[in-house]
Amino acid sequence: MEPQIAEEVDIFEMQMALRRTGRLDEKLFAETRLRRGCYGQRYDNGHRHDGIRTQQLSFLAEMTKGPDTLWDAPGMQRIKIPFGGVTPNQLETLAELAEEYADGVLHVTTRQDFQLHYVHIDDTPNLMRRLAAVGITTREACGNSVRNVTACPLSGVCRGETFDVTPYAKASSKFMLGHPDAQGFGRKFKIAFSGCKEEACALTNMHDMGCIAVTRLEDGKQKRGFEVYVGGGLGAVPQQAKLFDSFVPEEELLPLTQAIARVFARMGEKKNRAAARIKFLVSKLGIEEFRRIVLEERRAMPTDTRWTSYLADLERYREEPRRGPEFLNGQARPDGFEKWFATNVYRQKQEGFVVASVTLPLGDMTAAQARQLANIARRFSADTLRTTVEQNIVLRWVSEADLVDLYCELLRIGLGEPGAGTILDVVACPGTDTCKLGIASSRGLAGEIRTRLADRLFTLDESVRNLHIKISGCFNSCGQHHVADLGFYGTSRTIANRKVPHFQVVLGGKWQDNAGAYGLAIGTVPSKNIPDVVEQITSRYVRDRQGMETFQEFIKRIGKQQCRAIIEPFMQVGSYEQDRSLYSDWGDPREFTIGDLGVGECAGEVISVTQFDLADAERLVFEAQLHLENENYGQADAFAYRAMLQAAASLVKTQFLDVNDQPDTVVGEFRSRFFDTGILGDRYAGNKFAEYLFRRHDSPPQTHTRDQAYRIVEEAQLFIEATYACHDSLTERGAAGPFGLAVQSGRAAGKP
Amino acid sequence: MDLHRLGVKFFAAEPASIKLPDFIPVFHGWIQKQNLAGHLLIDVHDYSHVHQGPGILLVAHEGNFSLDTEEGRPGLMYYRKTPTGLAPVEHLAAVMRSGLQACRLLEKDARVRFTMDELLVVANDRLNAPNDNETFNQLRPILAAALKQVFESTAFELSRKSEDPRERLIIACKR
Repeated sequence: MEPQIAEEVDIFEMQMALRRTGRLDEKLFAETRLRRGCYGQRYDNGHRHDGIRTQQLSFLAEMTKGPDTLWDAPGMQRIKIPFGGVTPNQLETLAELAEEYADGVLHVTTRQDFQLHYVHIDDTPNLMRRLAAVGITTREACGNSVRNVTACPLSGVCRGETFDVTPYAKASSKFMLGHPDAQGFGRKFKIAFSGCKEEACALTNMHDMGCIAVTRLEDGKQKRGFEVYVGGGLGAVPQQAKLFDSFVPEEELLPLTQAIARVFARMGEKKNRAAARIKFLVSKLGIEEFRRIVLEERRAMPTDTRWTSYLADLERYREEPRRGPEFLNGQARPDGFEKWFATNVYRQKQEGFVVASVTLPLGDMTAAQARQLANIARRFSADTLRTTVEQNIVLRWVSEADLVDLYCELLRIGLGEPGAGTILDVVACPGTDTCKLGIASSRGLAGEIRTRLADRLFTLDESVRNLHIKISGCFNSCGQHHVADLGFYGTSRTIANRKVPHFQVVLGGKWQDNAGAYGLAIGTVPSKNIPDVVEQITSRYVRDRQGMETFQEFIKRIGKQQCRAIIEPFMQVGSYEQDRSLYSDWGDPREFTIGDLGVGECAGEVISVTQFDLADAERLVFEAQLHLENENYGQADAFAYRAMLQAAASLVKTQFLDVNDQPDTVVGEFRSRFFDTGILGDRYAGNKFAEYLFRRHDSPPQTHTRDQAYRIVEEAQLFIEATYACHDSLTERGAAGPFGLAVQSGRAAGKP
Repeated sequence: MDLHRLGVKFFAAEPASIKLPDFIPVFHGWIQKQNLAGHLLIDVHDYSHVHQGPGILLVAHEGNFSLDTEEGRPGLMYYRKTPTGLAPVEHLAAVMRSGLQACRLLEKDARVRFTMDELLVVANDRLNAPNDNETFNQLRPILAAALKQVFESTAFELSRKSEDPRERLIIACKR
């Protein structure tokens, strides 16, 4: 273990001791542990709804490891895997840690990390030391830092790449790890590398900083560089990254990264977490001004030899296959091989070698599987396995002639499933399984969809077989639902005083072109009906597809109104007495609640007037979406704004029934009653959603662009979600009467 | 030997009858009643999609219970995570009793039968109990004494399941 890393872990252990004795502030400790990859997990506030009541989980120790986060409550450990590269030895260590400190399962995330769940914080120092012994760090896996640097898993072997980005991703990760200029961020910062522009592998368009390999001719030689994008991101309000520079020479890559980090640390938002990602800074300044400031910063920076020292080793970087290239000839092929070959094997640019994808269901594998996979990699692959953003693992440099033996070995350990990169390969964030912010069960839904499609994969129309489904448990987009053909994110609706898990249906996102386009929300459907929605939409696509029309083109052609019409029959929720199944989530027999989010026990709605008003707001935002689709950006903006006003007014009316519909009045009343008082803000999202309304109200757009209209429509959708949540919360607390809180007609009533 | 991270597995008598999803509501029911003595039951996790894995997991603060399917042999697996403060023999006996307690409840609530003629004991701590002969020899008398306490029997044959140093020390106990 490197002495510096050993010292870092010792320091962390000391900080734990200080926290245990109350000598380190809990907020400070929370950020400290996050920067070591120690994340909170669901129920760590000591409360869990068991389906009948909320139980207090009485851990013996009363101390906390963060605000409202109990020390003894199990947590999640995130482990950074730069560019997804992991050696067999490292994989074996990860397996050991999963067995001894977690639940025996390794989970691959959508950013090529590993995660272990149900880890006790007291075990984390030893866990980190054992990782450090094999060259892995958890440092800055979470927190306001440079997160795992991701890269295309085919880098170096891809037939379409410009050049291998692996050494650049590695150098970038190493350079930025713990860099002093990257310690003062208001939020996280994610970097991705891609070897080409067209494929999806690295999703550079949705990253804070995306780097695409390009070359240009200089003095008769091919000069390497990167097309650099900044300010992309998913989350509640997705934004496509903006082109910063079409050619950043390789020697300028690290200094430019550092300069961007410095500007982000200095000028990025710090107080309001909801607007603190670099995408907001880029939007606020505009890309030209942002570029100017960054380049000015770059010129002022003192030279660092590390900027270019790694370049000398570039030529020496290579992966060594176990054996020479040989083609797959007339070998006997076992049952299932052809299907697996069709979906899980990619021919490398190096003849005779292939990449084999190991499909991990929901990104999971057992410790025993991981250990055996390490053995398999040693036998068939090069030194490095790679995790993928689709939550799989790839074995590279496999001699094609070994494929049959490899398949048999994978089959033996239960990892020979076909379907990598197909509709069966559903991506899902942890959702309500373990995430504190999860609203609905993304993994439960993913499992159900997989089960229904598993036997039918190869009988599905080819156009459907290769679609992507991605699911997030909430609007925060960890499941990357915006860039899927069919995306879903969890939400909740109240029906006759009971909560029903729902998913918002997001159609038409683009996985290709490095996440080239984001989908738009169509409507919310009860969780239990989503598999039928998948069936219905894909059947309709097969039936009505014109020529070689892609799914995105199809969705665009039929329009949102028709899309809505397709899902409409599945949006209905019968009464609890008629069918209780809709009132619980996939894989969880408990009656559904959002109480575990910490917003209190559900009592459901009391009044219907507000519900109607909110439904009307939803209608308005849908109209805004239609205008957006038809490129009527001014109208899209106007309707989205009206939708927000309507939703705000619906809440104001719970206190002040006769409020007029003048925007200034509505916004003023809403601000004083729900924003200033903190009533709107839930504990995680804060008041950020209200700021969408205020910003639009105070600063109407001077010109109407697609980007602006897209953003306001998305914001309106989220603002309406927030008003629903606020309304639910008020009724749960019994604070709302038939028309809300202490309803008063006529002139404005006092604040609650 | 400082070894509190121990596991014990009791095998299902009729493996073919095990249907993993059936155990999800059973474990949720246990949490509602908090009816596993000495344990703060926290959550249920469905790993039925994972090949020969933990199956359905019931997470408690003191230890994890699961309807485990490792090596294709379903059974009740219990991993102790926290110390009991007892001497080694008593600690191991307590771990076995916790596993047995869950087996009895499952027999009642899920109509699963377990065989008591064979069990596995896992030293789930490579730092303190590496998989070697020395650890095995240290643990064997402790295990024999614990088995006698719990099962009132000395008829168990003890053997190391694997000598691969990368694996944990797992001792098969058969009678």
